[in-house]
Amino acid sequence: MKPRALALVTAGALVALPWVLARYQLSILTDLLIYGLFAMSLDLIIGYTGMVSFGHAAYFGLGAYGSALVLLNFEQPVPVALLAGALLAGVVAAPVAYLSTRATGIYFAMLTLAFAQLLYTVAYKWRDLTGGSDGIAGVPKTTLFWGGPSLATPQAFYLLVTVCVLLSLLACRALVRSPFGRALQAIRENERRFTSLGRDPRPFKLVVFVIAATFAGLAGALFAPFRGFASPEVMFWVLSGQVLMMVVMGGIGTLIGPVLGAMVFILIQEIASSYTEHWMIFTGVVFVLMVIFLPGGLMGLVRGRA
Amino acid sequence: MSNLVEQLLNALALAGLLFLVSAGLSVVFGVLRVVNFAHGVFYMLGAYFGFTAVALSGYFWLALVVAPPVVGVVGALLEASTLRFIYRRDPSYQLLLTFGLALILEESVRILYGNTAKSIDAPLALQGGVALLGTVYPRYRLFLVVLGLAVGVAVWLVLQRTRAGLVIRAVAQNSEMADCLGADVTRVRTLVFGAACALAGLGGVAAAPMTSAYLGMGISVIVDAFVVVVIGGLGSIVGSMAGSLIVGAAQTWGAFYLPEAAMVIIYAVMGALLIFRPWGLFGEEE
Repeated sequence: MKPRALALVTAGALVALPWVLARYQLSILTDLLIYGLFAMSLDLIIGYTGMVSFGHAAYFGLGAYGSALVLLNFEQPVPVALLAGALLAGVVAAPVAYLSTRATGIYFAMLTLAFAQLLYTVAYKWRDLTGGSDGIAGVPKTTLFWGGPSLATPQAFYLLVTVCVLLSLLACRALVRSPFGRALQAIRENERRFTSLGRDPRPFKLVVFVIAATFAGLAGALFAPFRGFASPEVMFWVLSGQVLMMVVMGGIGTLIGPVLGAMVFILIQEIASSYTEHWMIFTGVVFVLMVIFLPGGLMGLVRGRA
Repeated sequence: MSNLVEQLLNALALAGLLFLVSAGLSVVFGVLRVVNFAHGVFYMLGAYFGFTAVALSGYFWLALVVAPPVVGVVGALLEASTLRFIYRRDPSYQLLLTFGLALILEESVRILYGNTAKSIDAPLALQGGVALLGTVYPRYRLFLVVLGLAVGVAVWLVLQRTRAGLVIRAVAQNSEMADCLGADVTRVRTLVFGAACALAGLGGVAAAPMTSAYLGMGISVIVDAFVVVVIGGLGSIVGSMAGSLIVGAAQTWGAFYLPEAAMVIIYAVMGALLIFRPWGLFGEEE
């Protein structure tokens, strides 16, 4: 089957699934898609620009808090909350990106980790706004627009998530194929050469970092009403490590790969945890084996270049 | 005055522990070019193996001598069976592989020892306090100051003044050239990794009488150790010492004067420093 036809069939199947799947399966699928979007956003930085960010969860968390606060305090429609969450993540990411992109390689990773931990600490300590370690609970799934249909049913919310993820995928694809995206890939391939051709890589890195954080914020903004809460855990560095794993598992620099990676990652955890309480060992072994034997990730396997 | 002395010693004791963990992390980065995410878990292994050694023999000193080499052997075996195959890949793969190793080890400890924390008693000679400059200070913390300092000097001497240290530094500087000149680079990497894990294990045994051995202690120490090596500069032992002192001081005084912001201060210090010196105090520019 041609890729385009395959994509259309997949998109059609995703839209048709709520009428087929049971409630529990649908909620897992919604979860998978949200994490998929999160992983995809990180791929913009890692896969297309070659910068390893180790603090991406912070922007997911900012999106979750932004959306939770808007929904809980102002009872606005969900899309308003999504916009608020995504914008909050993007705005906070700008100064972090400005400072972090001064460093490269492993030091860039460490700086992003440090700033993410800083943001985590703020979320943890600012009790009046964020509820501290308890987080914000009871985030409602409101409506699609003012006076519009309710999104409280699993099916309706699933469709919203699906549409957001598909649109984001298209937007990111357009981005990496644009001249801007080509420039990013040039930086990934050879930053020194890019510089010697008379271009400054830093503005490009800054902008892509902010864009990636905005999409991560969107994922977080979907997460908060879906799960009904936002807590400091969604900003913790463990999640940053996990999302990095999702990207590598799926195949870096493919956009769709990280979405698959996120799905496989969560499913492995779900399945392993239903068999044994010590599922982390199993997950760890799968990680180690995948890193050693599947350098191209799942997409590499699909394309036969593993 | 007595308050100041006490806090200074607290900062030094914390710095001593941080140094035991961060020194290995830093050397492993220097020689293997790997950011070892699992390093904190070896610290935890040290604490648990120390607990077992004390439970079996009854001697803390024996545990302090026996547990670290065992941790080192576990580390060397893991390096030889997994990491060795992916040195040529992008650094993010190595980070992720060690992330996987950390999960496996953490869960193995949970299976072996269960969820409850295991406490170790400090040896009699180190229990209680000692009068010092108008204050009574816990002996055990003084021991940590001495241990950190002694290990720091020992590691520095090994690296700078012995033949083994010379080979290690050669591999760190240019592994291909060292290979051409006859150094067994594969073996050096395995031994360095093992030795670094043993150091972390030593830190774990030493920390156990204060913090007891618990799941998650590795995770919490590794983030601090990251901060230490980033401040000091990856790959530099002197940098690890300086970083340990800075982080130890920031945490001790931060917890005392600004308890609300203690956690923020350490990241703020690191962020501020890296903006001016992105490669750390004693690191080399990439």
